[in-house]
Amino acid sequence: MGVLTRAIKNISRRKMRALLVIIALGFSMAILISVPAGIVANQTATQALTENFNKTLSDMQAEINKTMTLIEISNSSSSMPGNPFGNSSGFMPGPMFGGSQSYMNASIIYDARSIEGVMIAIPYLEKSEGVNETMTRFGRSFTVLRTKYTIVGVSLNSSLIDNYSILPANITDGRNLQEGDSGVVLLSENNTEYFGVIVGDKVTILGKSFTVVGVHGSTGFSESTMLYMNITDAQTITGLTGSITKLDVYAENSSDVDDIATQIEALYPELSITTYKDRLSQLDSMQSMYESTLTTAQSTLSQTEATAVQEILIAVVATSLIVLFVMLYTVRERTKEIGTLKAIGFSNWNVMSQFMLEGTLLSLIAGVVGIAIGSIGAPMLTSVLLPSISTSLFGGSSRGFGPDSQPTSSGIAGAASTQVTLSPQLMLLALGAAVLLGALGSLYPAWRASRTKPAESMKYE
Amino acid sequence: MSEAILRIENLNKTYTIGKRKVTALSGLNLQVKKGEFIAIMGPSGSGKTTLLNLVGCLDKPTTGKAILDNVDITTLPEKKLCEIRRNKVGFIFQTFNLLPYLSAIENVELPMENTKKSKSERRKRARELMEMVGLSGREEHRPHRLSAGEQQRVAIARALANDPAIVLADEPTGNLDTNNKFEIIRLLGKLNISQRTTIIMVTHDAQMATHTERILLLRDGKILKEKQGIHLVKKKLMCPYCGSKIQSSDLRCPSCRKRL
Repeated sequence: MGVLTRAIKNISRRKMRALLVIIALGFSMAILISVPAGIVANQTATQALTENFNKTLSDMQAEINKTMTLIEISNSSSSMPGNPFGNSSGFMPGPMFGGSQSYMNASIIYDARSIEGVMIAIPYLEKSEGVNETMTRFGRSFTVLRTKYTIVGVSLNSSLIDNYSILPANITDGRNLQEGDSGVVLLSENNTEYFGVIVGDKVTILGKSFTVVGVHGSTGFSESTMLYMNITDAQTITGLTGSITKLDVYAENSSDVDDIATQIEALYPELSITTYKDRLSQLDSMQSMYESTLTTAQSTLSQTEATAVQEILIAVVATSLIVLFVMLYTVRERTKEIGTLKAIGFSNWNVMSQFMLEGTLLSLIAGVVGIAIGSIGAPMLTSVLLPSISTSLFGGSSRGFGPDSQPTSSGIAGAASTQVTLSPQLMLLALGAAVLLGALGSLYPAWRASRTKPAESMKYE
Repeated sequence: MSEAILRIENLNKTYTIGKRKVTALSGLNLQVKKGEFIAIMGPSGSGKTTLLNLVGCLDKPTTGKAILDNVDITTLPEKKLCEIRRNKVGFIFQTFNLLPYLSAIENVELPMENTKKSKSERRKRARELMEMVGLSGREEHRPHRLSAGEQQRVAIARALANDPAIVLADEPTGNLDTNNKFEIIRLLGKLNISQRTTIIMVTHDAQMATHTERILLLRDGKILKEKQGIHLVKKKLMCPYCGSKIQSSDLRCPSCRKRL
């Protein structure tokens, strides 16, 4: 029959009251743990966002450095803003969705090659096949090509294959394309699912039969739907003989790039010509966009943190006050019992520890309840209590207009979606806080109890 | 007989209620021998409860000396007083004051909690006491499932838990019907004889008071009169009314049929 048993018996004596108090305390405790969890989630999201941006930018920078001598030529109407790299860039959505495709006459290849200082000109033909769909966003209708697959015709020349990354590097099955290949196709994993074929099978593309020689594992947003074949085959099946969609011109020397670009521009003023300078300026504008996004995120985060501190303070005060009032009430109600206990030889300390323990135990139970409420309701609680970073940055409009409704910058938005979870450390911390606040709240009532004069308290009925 | 277990010399107690000073005890002298069974009677405000509280170390006198079991309890600090209350004093209250959320036996064990007794020793002692007050088999009952008389028996068992030098009973029969009153006073008498427990009982009830061996009449904080009760005669197994021989277990005198 220890002091603990008595504390438990006393709490369970008035079940309804204990239940109500525990629920009230539990909610307070749930707020106490959900808010830090929300902050941690927001911090993680912001950090992920920063890392994501930095990686994107450094990847882009690396790509630009690698392609100092590259001049990209395409028909302006098919060039998507913010996409300087065409299919060679592994980290940005491809150019093929959203816009109509325009073609250039293949004769540009020879014109380009004849310019002094040009080392090589590599043609591509890209054509997306899919269905047009109308989708409604924000009250407006858009026609979107829902891409099923994209045919990429490449010039299968072994010196190009070896020296320029014109084909995907990551082959997961079969072999890559090689010089002299014709009537064969390299599919993406996505394509094999769409066509329902494996390596060695025949596949009919735009009415012509091809043998699947390999599968590439590119996972980039547009690369995952790209199938590669000989450019001549591609021109034949698409009915675009003599046309290309993109020409990559490499200068022998990076100092010649501007000169070459000027000459091409003079010859073909209607085409869009992109050199490393354009790519750098695009990188700059992207960087400043990311920076402003990050600034918004940071300021939202610090705002959130300030709110969180206030809310935690309120929860702490509320928890202690609830314990304080409940225990004061209990002490008052049990004055006679306290007198009796003192009369039969309980010391001030015995009485005080009895009530402290009761308050602490009550708070501890509430802590457990709070953790239970928190682990179920933390996402909801934090969404009510805290301004969220993900909604402030990407709320609603984070979804792009791309095929399959994928976000235009899926990686970034995905990283910023806040996942509020209660870590074990946080739960332990919550229990510690519960004990501490329970003890704090019951300190004064318990002290009052211990000071009760037995002779007087016995007069109470 | 034997030595004094309680010696009170010139005890004064003054309360201040608002600006008014109220004298509860003025120059009270009293000696209680070991094994005595005493009743204190008197009108309201005569200082009965004050005296009991002072002896029970629940309150401190303004002046005077009170020596309980060779210790002057008027000069002790609160910590020591608490030990005295635990080890030397047993309290019985008018309203029983059992803890409602504990079983009967847990209530009896309560005063032993802060002593050196082990858990099993406490349980054993509590069982003995429950048997002594005639409540074997009711150990696990909560107070609300016991009758008023039974509750007071549990309270008596609790008062005796630490073998106190003195038992202080404040109107122990005040909340009981006639049958239960007699049972309790008989139990106190029986314990006084068998355990040699010293008992001081404050009561309003003259009939109950006569069942002790010495009745003190208090008025205005002093002992006004002293009378003999019938308990001393009962100790000698004689009927106090007609003088015929009785058994200690007799509820009524076999010859004159008066309640014992």
